[in-house]
Parts: sequence; structure tokens; C-alpha cells
Amino acid sequence: MKNKKRLTLAKKRAITGYLFILPWFIGFCMFYIKSLFMTIQFSLSDVSTSAATGYTTKFTGLENLIYIFTKDAKFNQTLILSIKDIVIDVPLILTFSLLMAMLLNQKFTGRTIFRAIFFIPVIMGSAAIADSIESARQAAVGGISSQSAAITEASSSAVNLDYYVALFKDIGLPAGVIDYVVGAVGRISDVIDLSGIQIVIFIAALQSIPSSLYEVARIEGATAYETFWKVTFPMVMPHIITCLVYTVVARFANSEIVDYSYKEIFNRINYDLGSAMALVSMICVCVILFTVVALIQKKTFYYN
Amino acid sequence: MAKNKERVKKKFFHREKQLNRSAAGNGILFFFMFICGLFMALPLVILVNNALKPLDEIFQYPPSIFVRNPTFNNFKDLFVVMSDSWVPFSRYIFNTIIITGFGTVGHVIVASLAAYPLAKHKFPGKDILFSMVVLSMMFSYNVTMIPNYMIISYLGINNTYLAMILPAWQYGMGLFLMKQFMEEIPDSLMESAKLDGASEFTVFWKIFMPNVKPAWLTLAVLQFQQMWGNTGSMYLRSEKLKPMQFALNQIAGGGAARQGVAMAVAFLIALVPITFFLICQSQIIETMTSSGMKD
Repeated sequence: MKNKKRLTLAKKRAITGYLFILPWFIGFCMFYIKSLFMTIQFSLSDVSTSAATGYTTKFTGLENLIYIFTKDAKFNQTLILSIKDIVIDVPLILTFSLLMAMLLNQKFTGRTIFRAIFFIPVIMGSAAIADSIESARQAAVGGISSQSAAITEASSSAVNLDYYVALFKDIGLPAGVIDYVVGAVGRISDVIDLSGIQIVIFIAALQSIPSSLYEVARIEGATAYETFWKVTFPMVMPHIITCLVYTVVARFANSEIVDYSYKEIFNRINYDLGSAMALVSMICVCVILFTVVALIQKKTFYYN
Repeated sequence: MAKNKERVKKKFFHREKQLNRSAAGNGILFFFMFICGLFMALPLVILVNNALKPLDEIFQYPPSIFVRNPTFNNFKDLFVVMSDSWVPFSRYIFNTIIITGFGTVGHVIVASLAAYPLAKHKFPGKDILFSMVVLSMMFSYNVTMIPNYMIISYLGINNTYLAMILPAWQYGMGLFLMKQFMEEIPDSLMESAKLDGASEFTVFWKIFMPNVKPAWLTLAVLQFQQMWGNTGSMYLRSEKLKPMQFALNQIAGGGAARQGVAMAVAFLIALVPITFFLICQSQIIETMTSSGMKD
């Protein structure tokens, strides 16, 4: 910095900012930007592999993209289905985890144990444990697998959902609402499984709300309901965005469309098509995510 | 006088009651939480019980959740299998500790460092950078597997610890989380520290990091959990470098006769992240952020 005459304060700040980011940025470029560009490159070209030369790419423009949209049998359908899943699940997960975080943030005996319990699905979801449980389950079920499938099918239809749906339609609730509720009921275990980290994030967010705000609300005579909407909710709003992004990312990583493109790559060995599928689905989800975040951000209250 | 006091007391308690929920309401909430908790605890209950089941109970059909004749035979068998593994088992544990430790600590530090200017400074290219971070999180690991492998081998760190540790430092998620929480810290706190002559790094290390302790503990829990479960089978080929997870999976994958051992393995794998989480959680509660501001 000495060889220059003088740096403005803004420039100085920018330089320290860049210095702080640098260690992260180098790695980010190496590992992530590079693979992003490689995926784009693959999705725009015809990739052929051979044992001798590794792989070769031949630029074909938009051919792969056109193929997956117009010729691939299941891509469009899977994409729409996955996006619909995300759209339904995410609000559910967010509401559930905020509710749970608020309950777990209260003082009661056994709070630590409860918090730990709500974190279990995150740990159980890790690949290693899931694998060992799954392999154990397969070995245990093994020979009687056909029988067990019949049993589980029978037990899951014990509650006849269709009957209730017809009942509610009779009352005159709009079909969209009913579909959403029915979908939600069917997803309870998914929702609970996926909300572990969000609960932890929300607890951390709730912890960082100054208690003086609650004191003020109490002195002013606010009810618990008012306190929630006027104090708690605005204060955790920025973290609702945090959780929203996290949830969409996590949900997308487990969605069918990712699975589909993975299979296209590794089972059908179409690296170019699979990359194109991954790219297209990623862009779709990103566009939705960025619009929603932008919409919420406008309404968000920042304490500063 | 006494009567008056009583009245005041009554009035006060009436207010209290209105503020807090009624006993019945609390009961309902607790019940709701209990049901959900039951749902979530079930896998762990099954895991613990299965680890204690003798082999015939594991294969019993229809399966039962609770163990009838608990034994520690599964663990005993596991130790027997462990003791005659190719390389000493302590080597696997050591590898896991190295990979998980460096991966977690490094990620928390690198991500926090990068998050600080993103949250509190203004500089050109900031928004683009942040969008790239979110975009990179969308990148499913499965799909970028092949480019990742090519990059790792191009850098020449294939089959070393670095292949596991370095990419872990740059996950977008940590940066994103830390940035969101750092934005919450009042600017005035930063400015007052700077007026007192603190350098940027001091501000970051002494002001921001203690204040976002819940955030980085959360991040540590998340990252630990991910690193811990990593088998590393893609990059690590030398047996000496492989983490415990890989060895345990090998043991567990030994077919029907090894199922009891597999259950013990699953239990042991789950135990450490849960313990780590419990420790971090109590820290999060203790922090009870006081931003040091009175405004």
C-alpha cells in the first residue's frame, strides 16, 4: 500500500474486505467455479469417453437442452414434480421448525434432551448411518421382502385418505387447499426429518433477540400473540430467509430430478445429457428461490 | 393495607396469566412436542435396541422395537473383527479425527472470515459473489462428482488428506449462515471498536466471533456431522488414509452373519455426532447473546 500515494477510506476497506475473503475465494474458484464451468461445458457439447484418451468434448450448442425438453421421456414430468414437491414442503418445514424452535427455546425441564432429540434426524440422515441401517434392514427383511411390501401397503391404506378428501370437498373447500393439506399430511415424516438444522438455526436466532424487547412488550401490556407477531417474528425474519435458502437447497439435493440426472450420468452413461438436466433443474430452482427471497427481503425488518 | 397488597398481587398475577399461556395450553403444546419428539427419537431407539439384540432377534419377523434379551455380544464381535483388520484400527480412528477436525475447524474459520466483509463491508462485486455462493449450494454433489474428481487429481492432492479437507472448507453453506448472522450485529458496535483503535482483524475476532457464537456453533455441528459421515471412498485409495467410517462400513457389509456387528457399528457411528451436538447445544444456550449494546 505504500507505493501508492494515498488510498481513500473506501478503497482501504475494500482491500481489507478482499483480504478476508481471499482464503475462501481461492478454494471456491478451484473447487466450485471450475466444476460449474465444466458442467456447463459438458451440457453444451457431445461428450464421448474412451479408455485411451479419457474424454473428448465436441461443441454442439443447445442440442442437449433441446433433446431433454422435447425427446426425453420423463424429464419434463420429473422436473415439474420435483419443483412442486419443493414448493409444498418448504413452507411446511419452515413453519414447523419455527414453531418447534420457539417451544424448545422456552424454559422447561429436559429441554436439552428435547433439543437433542429434534436433532437426531440430521445425524441419522448422514450417509454412513443411513447405509448401515439400510443394509441391516435389507438383510433382515431379505427373503420375506415380497410379503412385507404387501403388509406395509395394507397398513398405510388403513386410513382412507380419499374418503376424507371427498368429505372436505363436499363442505366446499377449494380443491387446491385440500390437495395442499392432504399432501402435507402425507409428508409429515419427511417434514420432521428435514427440519433438524432449521430448528437449530431458529433457536440460535431466537437467542439473539435482545430480552429488553420482550420486557418492553410486557410493560406495554402486549399479549403473547401480539408479542409473537410484533417482536419475535420481525426479529427472526432475516433467519427465515436463511432457513428458506437452506431448506430449498437441502430439499433440492434430495429431489427426484437430481436423482434422475444422476442416473442419466452413471447408469446410462450420458454425461452430457445428465449435466444438461442438472443445469436446467438448478437454474429453475434458483430462479424461483431468488424471486422468493427478493420478495421476502423487501418485507424484512433489519434491526440495524 | 394487607388487603390492598393482596389486590395488587392478584392484579399482577392476572396480568401474568394473560401473558403466559394457560396450563392447559402448555400441556397441549408439550403433548404436541412430545409426539413429534417421539417420531424423531424412534430411529435412535431402534438403533440402540438393535445394537443390543442377539442375532436371532434381529432377523425376527414381524420385527419388534424393543430388545428382549439384551447382550453385548455384538460389540464384542465388533472388537474381535476390528482387532484383525488390515491396518491397526486406531489408524482409522486417527484418520477420521484428522479429517473431521481440520475440515470442521478450517471451514468455520475460512467461512467466518469471508462472511465478515460480505456482511459488513461495501465493495464492488459483493452481490455477484454472494449470488455465486447461493448458486454453488444448489450444486448437487452427485452431479459434480466427475468434475470434482478431475479437479482433485489435477491439483495432485488425490489420495491425500487434503482431498477430503480442502473442498470441505469452501462449502457455500457456512459462508451463507455466517453472513446472515453477522448482518444482525449492529454497525455501531463495529464503529465503536474501530474508534478505540481496533484493527479489522481485532474487530472480527474480538467483537464479531463472540457475538455470533450460536451461529458458528451451529455451523460446526452441521459440518462435523457431514465430515464424520464421510467414507472418502472416492479420493482415498490407500488403506492407511481411509477414515473409520469406511472400515466400519466394510465390517458391516459382511452379509447376514455380520448384521449384529453392523448394528453395533451404526450405533457407534451415531454416538459421536450426537455427543458433539449436545456439547455445542449447551454452549449455545450459555451464550445468551448480549450484544453489549444499550440503545
